[in-house]
Amino acid sequence: MPLSPIFFKKTKFEVEKVSNASTESDSVTRSDHSIFVRGIRKTYPNGVVANQDVTFSILRGEVHALLGENGAGKTTLVKILSGCLTPDSGEILVNGRSVRIEDPIKAVKLGIGMVHQHFTLIPTFTVAENIALSLSLSGRLNLDAVKGKIKEVSKNLTLEIDPDARIEQLPVGLRQRVEILRLLCQDVDILILDEPTSVLTPLEVEELFKTIRRLKSKGRSVIIITHKVKEALAISDRITIMRGGRVVKTLPTISTNEAELAALVVEGFASSLRVDRGKPGEPVLMVKNLSVKGKRGEMAVKGVDLVLHAGEILGIAGVAGNGQKELVEALTGLRRIESGTSLLKTCDLTNRPPKFIIRKGVSYIPEDRIRRGVVLSMSVSENLALKNFEEQPFSKNMVINRESIDRYASDLISKFGIRASDPCATVSSLSGGNIGKLVVARELSNGANIVVAEQPTAGLDVKASEAVHQKLMELRSKGVAALLISADLDEIIKLSDRIVVMYGGKFVGEFTHDSLDIQKLARLMLGSA
Amino acid sequence: MELKLTKSTVRSIYKAVISIALALVVTSVLFIATGANPILAYYYIFVGAFGNLNLTVETLVRTTPILLVSLGLAIAFKCKVWNIGAEGQLYMGAMAGTITAVSLGNSPLTLPASILVAILGGMAWAAVPALMKTKLGINEVITTFLMNYVAIYFVQWLLSFPFRSPDTLFPESAQVPQAAVLPILLPTTRLHLGVVLAIAVALPLVYFLMIKTTFGYKLRAVGENPEAARFGGINVSRTIFLALVLSGALAGIAGLFEVSGIQFRMRGSLSPGYGYTGIVVALLGQNNPIGVFLSSIFLAAIFNGSSTMSRVLNQPQGVVDFIQGVLVIFVLGSEYIMRYLEKKGVFKA
Repeated sequence: MPLSPIFFKKTKFEVEKVSNASTESDSVTRSDHSIFVRGIRKTYPNGVVANQDVTFSILRGEVHALLGENGAGKTTLVKILSGCLTPDSGEILVNGRSVRIEDPIKAVKLGIGMVHQHFTLIPTFTVAENIALSLSLSGRLNLDAVKGKIKEVSKNLTLEIDPDARIEQLPVGLRQRVEILRLLCQDVDILILDEPTSVLTPLEVEELFKTIRRLKSKGRSVIIITHKVKEALAISDRITIMRGGRVVKTLPTISTNEAELAALVVEGFASSLRVDRGKPGEPVLMVKNLSVKGKRGEMAVKGVDLVLHAGEILGIAGVAGNGQKELVEALTGLRRIESGTSLLKTCDLTNRPPKFIIRKGVSYIPEDRIRRGVVLSMSVSENLALKNFEEQPFSKNMVINRESIDRYASDLISKFGIRASDPCATVSSLSGGNIGKLVVARELSNGANIVVAEQPTAGLDVKASEAVHQKLMELRSKGVAALLISADLDEIIKLSDRIVVMYGGKFVGEFTHDSLDIQKLARLMLGSA
Repeated sequence: MELKLTKSTVRSIYKAVISIALALVVTSVLFIATGANPILAYYYIFVGAFGNLNLTVETLVRTTPILLVSLGLAIAFKCKVWNIGAEGQLYMGAMAGTITAVSLGNSPLTLPASILVAILGGMAWAAVPALMKTKLGINEVITTFLMNYVAIYFVQWLLSFPFRSPDTLFPESAQVPQAAVLPILLPTTRLHLGVVLAIAVALPLVYFLMIKTTFGYKLRAVGENPEAARFGGINVSRTIFLALVLSGALAGIAGLFEVSGIQFRMRGSLSPGYGYTGIVVALLGQNNPIGVFLSSIFLAAIFNGSSTMSRVLNQPQGVVDFIQGVLVIFVLGSEYIMRYLEKKGVFKA
């Protein structure tokens, strides 16, 4: 049940623009290209060929979507364009001139700027202070001048922001806006956005798309990286599909459709997922009047009651920062419970250590998989055994049985399609999406009673997402209960048997799958019932 | 003991070799400045360390305390617990062990008991900063380091008053009973049992602990990503506590072996800074027990060889400290040097 009518609407104006921009690249002169790259090749030190003979162009004033699975080479390509990586071979032309982009500073000078997936702002600095860092100021710091510049740029593009706001107080959507403004203050013409929607709520996505359209109307070009076909269709003029480090095809957006794109992204892909509903059984997790403090000592969860049944997926919908994170951490033993209880069947989990809760069969897929889910410098197999290395057959009397760990890992690697050269490779050699797969594989394979899944498919490609959904439903049919926390409303609606809405640390509404009212849900998420 | 030469192992070896080479080059500049031929100087250091059987044994004797301390530090450092206090832990262990030995007299239990008490002494001294870190969040670098001074002066006070030897004029303990002395294994040398215990028992044990056990796994996980370790159900505080306390235990043994194998008395000048040399060795050996073993032989050789070299070439003994200092700088910088060389294509990445 996608949200397309609200969020993925196309204006007439855009469609006209698209037809202008979508002329075949052969027939346009080179100077129409803002960027033209040819024959790019990039091999990483670990031998992975991330880009192979990539030829690609951006026209002035177009929105160009780079679409592909994890590890398709999208991020590598834009990192080359923004000077974060240098290609092994190939040519880059910017406005018709052949250039070498050694570092991000050079890229900005050429008018190319990138907003990374993980933001690079200093949380304790204000908007103006952060932007001042990037402007080449001589000698004295003149914050008033910076603020003036910010006001001028933001007024020009109607991107309101308070230059004196501290970054840590801003929601994610606005932080992203600051990143974009920072580039605009440096007179960047071509903006590269790496998976910009992965951290945003649906309303924030809509705002971002508005921003992108405004940028376009002022003649800026935007490259947006995504693995969501719908998003590419909604915002772009042209779409370039990448697979296995190569460009498969570049298409004008108006002449393609979801099915065609999905088939191009994953060769021969056809969705085989059949969504069914669960048959909830006995209650397994009973949470009573739970209160949890947040990072800054404020009450983040305020007296929440929750019952989770066996064989049920319960979705928690809500805008990030409304206590979901604290709730999850309390349930998994990572955060102190101030008052209330958490009961697994008859076993009290309240304020027990993480290990105890893990042993009782509570799996947890954390949102921040790199920081929380894995130890980067350790091997894939060691990471897959992170939660049960102290149990037989992985170890006995404190002695680790490496063969059995490796065997277990090889099994999961093939079952979940983790792209790793071998089980002994360090996790740091894996792509972000594959790290996600690793964590999901570990958490869904250790015989859990309850799975707490925080954004389980964020950053995963179509195939991997489907595999995760499939696995969650498979576990549900075996009587496992799942708590699904996701900013992706589509995902919550698709999988959940029941949905609760969290706002301001409380549950403010509940829907069963059949009684779902999306409009009301969206309003509840924003605290206006 | 299998030794798999993985890519990262080879890389670690390169890093260590590069660090040593650069440190020797820089030290050569010092030799040239003081009018000595650096090649000749290194030659005499080598001869002084391995020139004949007796000298070689002496180098192994010197290796023993350095190896024990640095094995312990490798455990702590693997867990990213920066124990700078091995020197203090060594003194406290040695003192506690000596008191035990002297008071037990000639009994078959004397040696094992004094070793055990030395272990406990080192552990107890390390437990203080370990508790401060895990319970109160106080940085262990500062606490462990400052507690070295407390330990050394406390030991000096003990040796000056309550435990002063009745038969000598110096502030030192009474001689340990014969039963506490580590037997000499090779007549006419100082090759005592402790040397063998360190190399043939402690080294394999630590290797096994770090590489093969769940504890070793926890050490690495906590050291590399405490957040993920906690999330995975590992008790992070307990792991940190154990890492620090275990390194104290090994420092304590090192101290006792110096008393029972070499000095036969506890002295205020028991260690010429083995606790600090251990840091250099653990870093150079990159917290790998085998690397640590090779590095401790290297530093012991520099220690012993330098005295020969300084006599023959009339050079200052302080060159030992100089090499150690320069070595630390290059070891710490070796990752960057390595990356630079890989970028330039000298080494394949």
